[in-house]
Amino acid sequence: MSTAPLSHAARKGYLRYLAPGALGFAVVVLVPFVMNIAISFTAWSGIGTPTFTGLDNYQRLIHDEMFWSAFAHSIWFIVAMAIVPTALALVLAAGLFDYLEPRFGPRVSSALRAGFYLPQVLPVAVAGIVWSWILTPYGALNGVLQKVGIADPPNWLGDTSWAMPSVMLVLVWMQLGYGLVIFMAGMARIDPQFHEAAELDGASWLTRFRHVTVPQMRPEIFVVLLTTTIAALKVFGPVFVLTKGGPGDATNVPSYYSYSNFFGNLQVGYGSAIATALTVVVIALTVVFIKIQSKAEGA
Amino acid sequence: MALTTKVAPPATAARPRRRGRRPGAATDRAGSASRHRRGITRWIVLTLLVVTMLVTLFPFFMAAINAIKTVGDYTAHGPLALPRSFDLTAIKDFWRNVDYTNKLFNSILISGSVAVLGTAISLLNAYALGIGRIKARKALLVTLLLATTIPQEALIYPLYYLAKAVDLYDTRLVVIIISSVMSSAFGTYLLASVLSTFPPEILEAARIDGAGRWQVLRHVVVPVIRPTLAVLMTLFFIWTWNDFFLPLIMLVSNDNQTASVALGSLQGQYTSSPTSLAAASLLGILPAVVFFLIFQRTLTRGAVAGAVR
Amino acid sequence: MLMRSRLSGAVALAAAVTLALSACGSGGASGGDGKTFTVWWYEDAGNPQDAAWQDALKDFQAAHPDVKVKFERKVWQQIQDAGAMILNSNDVPDLLEYNKGNATAGAVSAKGLLTDLTAEAAKQGWDKTAGSALTVGTYDSKGLMGPGKVYGIPSYGEYVSFAYNKDMFAKYGVTVPTTMDQLVAAFETFKAKGITPLAESAGDYPAQHLLWGLAVAKADRNWLNGYFGLKAPLDTSAASPLTQAAQTLADWTAKGYIDKKSTGLKAEDAWDQFRSGKAPITYAGTWMVGDFKEKIKSFQWGQFLMPGSGISAGSGGNIWVVPTKAGNKDLAYDFIKLTMDTKRQNLMANAGGVALAADPAAVTDPVGKQVNETFAKLASSDGLGLYGDWPVPNFYQVIFSNTQTLVGGSQTPAQFMEQLKKPYDQVQSSVG
Repeated sequence: MSTAPLSHAARKGYLRYLAPGALGFAVVVLVPFVMNIAISFTAWSGIGTPTFTGLDNYQRLIHDEMFWSAFAHSIWFIVAMAIVPTALALVLAAGLFDYLEPRFGPRVSSALRAGFYLPQVLPVAVAGIVWSWILTPYGALNGVLQKVGIADPPNWLGDTSWAMPSVMLVLVWMQLGYGLVIFMAGMARIDPQFHEAAELDGASWLTRFRHVTVPQMRPEIFVVLLTTTIAALKVFGPVFVLTKGGPGDATNVPSYYSYSNFFGNLQVGYGSAIATALTVVVIALTVVFIKIQSKAEGA
Repeated sequence: MALTTKVAPPATAARPRRRGRRPGAATDRAGSASRHRRGITRWIVLTLLVVTMLVTLFPFFMAAINAIKTVGDYTAHGPLALPRSFDLTAIKDFWRNVDYTNKLFNSILISGSVAVLGTAISLLNAYALGIGRIKARKALLVTLLLATTIPQEALIYPLYYLAKAVDLYDTRLVVIIISSVMSSAFGTYLLASVLSTFPPEILEAARIDGAGRWQVLRHVVVPVIRPTLAVLMTLFFIWTWNDFFLPLIMLVSNDNQTASVALGSLQGQYTSSPTSLAAASLLGILPAVVFFLIFQRTLTRGAVAGAVR
Repeated sequence: MLMRSRLSGAVALAAAVTLALSACGSGGASGGDGKTFTVWWYEDAGNPQDAAWQDALKDFQAAHPDVKVKFERKVWQQIQDAGAMILNSNDVPDLLEYNKGNATAGAVSAKGLLTDLTAEAAKQGWDKTAGSALTVGTYDSKGLMGPGKVYGIPSYGEYVSFAYNKDMFAKYGVTVPTTMDQLVAAFETFKAKGITPLAESAGDYPAQHLLWGLAVAKADRNWLNGYFGLKAPLDTSAASPLTQAAQTLADWTAKGYIDKKSTGLKAEDAWDQFRSGKAPITYAGTWMVGDFKEKIKSFQWGQFLMPGSGISAGSGGNIWVVPTKAGNKDLAYDFIKLTMDTKRQNLMANAGGVALAADPAAVTDPVGKQVNETFAKLASSDGLGLYGDWPVPNFYQVIFSNTQTLVGGSQTPAQFMEQLKKPYDQVQSSVG
């Protein structure tokens, strides 16, 4: 479906509608983006004039353990923000939509959905305060654990080996609602006849989930995985408010590492190089994702 | 905004893919529903899901019950006990100390402006791309899509530098402009795909009636896609409200700060008793819950648009 | 129709709001018209410095009735993180309390972002009022603390010491330790009774103060000068005071004198353990004295210094700086002058703060008297050991996160020293 073909002149008339957006885009995205790349080839404290140093920052980057460990942590963030919440959300959505809704009506399922979605609308700064208050060594969670007989509960955010799992838990909590809402909306699209046919064949809920729901939800799963993976690579807020990358550098991520180089170390050139490297990874990943998807669709 | 780490669901499209079932499906379902109404398993599943949801909401509950306790009550009975005292001192102190009225005003002003401005830019862009079908449409859309994936760290230092150069550093205006443009990358992408399937006969009819481009936009296109515009505005409002990074860097004066940043910078503050932290949490949660209740339908409405097609 | 007019209405509103906002302009900017005076500080409301400075603001307003005074309370961490970013803009206040040290005040002074106050300090006599504490505001052309120009004026002092619960000491028969062995013996006594003796926070700044306190107690002036002057690469041998301090900190945690969980505790959590009588000892800066004085009602408490070389963590307080781009420098000078006068200095001392030039006869508050005498003694005996994070940009963050892992036990003292050596040596090789 497409609009009637427009003449060249007619098309040109629409150009002026692009003017505000194009101007804004140039000033807010394009110019800063190019500037950032340019800065990454310099040594600059942010004050005075930058000195051109060629590829020095990138050479340093390659040998910087901190940078690599930050990137390695990104993988855990992808698990916590993309993989786990997507899988959980899919099961939950199917449970709410295919199981509860026919049995208890749409009110029950949408009330439950609302409850799961609420953390999504919470500002990350607020989520950070709430959770660090709950996870502090003598805080609410450990209070509960001690009551049920665990004498020495973990030091959630302060222990090098527990900090990452704790941050991951908070992220799963935050992200769950996103996938849930999209999947439930998507399930409304599936023709109920698929399910009914399967049911008549005696397929259990689990079998239907595997053989009807999941294959039908492929486009939604793709979108959710793509957007949350990108978000996981760029994650900043939760790290800033929960751990500031610590303890040590146990939860440091590239975005936080570049931020601390910009404004903490005053090594703007190096910070820019980290940010540029991160951008390349994110964009490459997006392109690969979309290529795979369009191939799958074509097949 | 579009480039934050948190993602809100892509919004509804004008395409006839409504939430809920296909026409006629409702009766099918009702039929199958009666078959389901027996057995104990469904109660077990319901209980399980309700419990899971309550666990999800537990942090909200904790903040609420502890914000209204006295420090003595908290120390004596711990964070889990229901309040035996009712005391708004912690909330009042926090409100006064951070001048929360002012922070809320800033957040509403900035988020509201971004909602309107960001949607307006998206609409104009999408009109040219989706209906105008100008040259290089595809390339522009791909550029926009990629732009939404650029990490803000890759833009922030130059933005900070440029803001200073034009004397807009530490103004709410600069946050509005940047957030609007960044949000509009996503908005344009979404609206353009909605508009590219706009019924051509309606446009044709309007043109035959002698309507110019601007009139077609105002009198024909906008009324039809109004629900999508509402969804965009809601998303932009909430993204901007929740945004932390940009205002953290750009707004240094207390007078200009947003609620999000004021709450986030509490972390470094020396004075922080458990009850006052709970009070701060509660005051941060409340606006979010209010928006959620107001916008719930808009927020959760609709199928996955944009990226799927 | 309704809908359409609503949308255009909304767009018009947005335009109007936007215009109105641009008119508002920047909040922090000072016009330079002598009509507004903008001052920032980050002392907690009601602490001794804040009390004195609020009083100064009143007198300032009385002396300048036509000037609009704009005061903003900031957060220490915010100025630590974003100070350079703010000073490097046009939206600077006329006067702000800024963090002392090479990494903060030094770095921005070297970039020309702070007004040279050398002449003004001499003219107003602030150099004499501040005495040796003025070091924290004096930087050379590379931004290193030491002989150079005056860029910042301290109006108070600070040191870090142990605070102890006198009632608990009496109950368990512990006397105030004067040697390291006695201190450890005291820890053991409490430990044997099932009490974790030292309230500490390694999820925040206090643990790195303890680390530095332990280091300077083993150090002499010569080592300190070398360390702050970036004279040589960081000494990581076992004999280095810093290595010894890291070792002691690790030992104390291993023996349970410090709670391992302190890696997840904020400063306020540690102070609360002390205030509530759960822990008999803590290691706190004098900026906490006003708070302890006000909030501890159920027991008597006192202070003792880290046993050792006679050097303690401490220095002149954070400094008043006047940004180069400030519009109303004369008003800033007038305000500094008020904070340095005897009235304010006495007020601060009596509230439990460390004044630089209080009249000893006028300081009647017992707590205030004690801390002011201790500070005077440290200052006159060259016993102020400054803070370990000063020499290198962002060293605060480096020491902080590594102290956290050291206390948590996932890093050995040797590894800890290696982590500090990297950034230190990098800066050292470029400066030295």
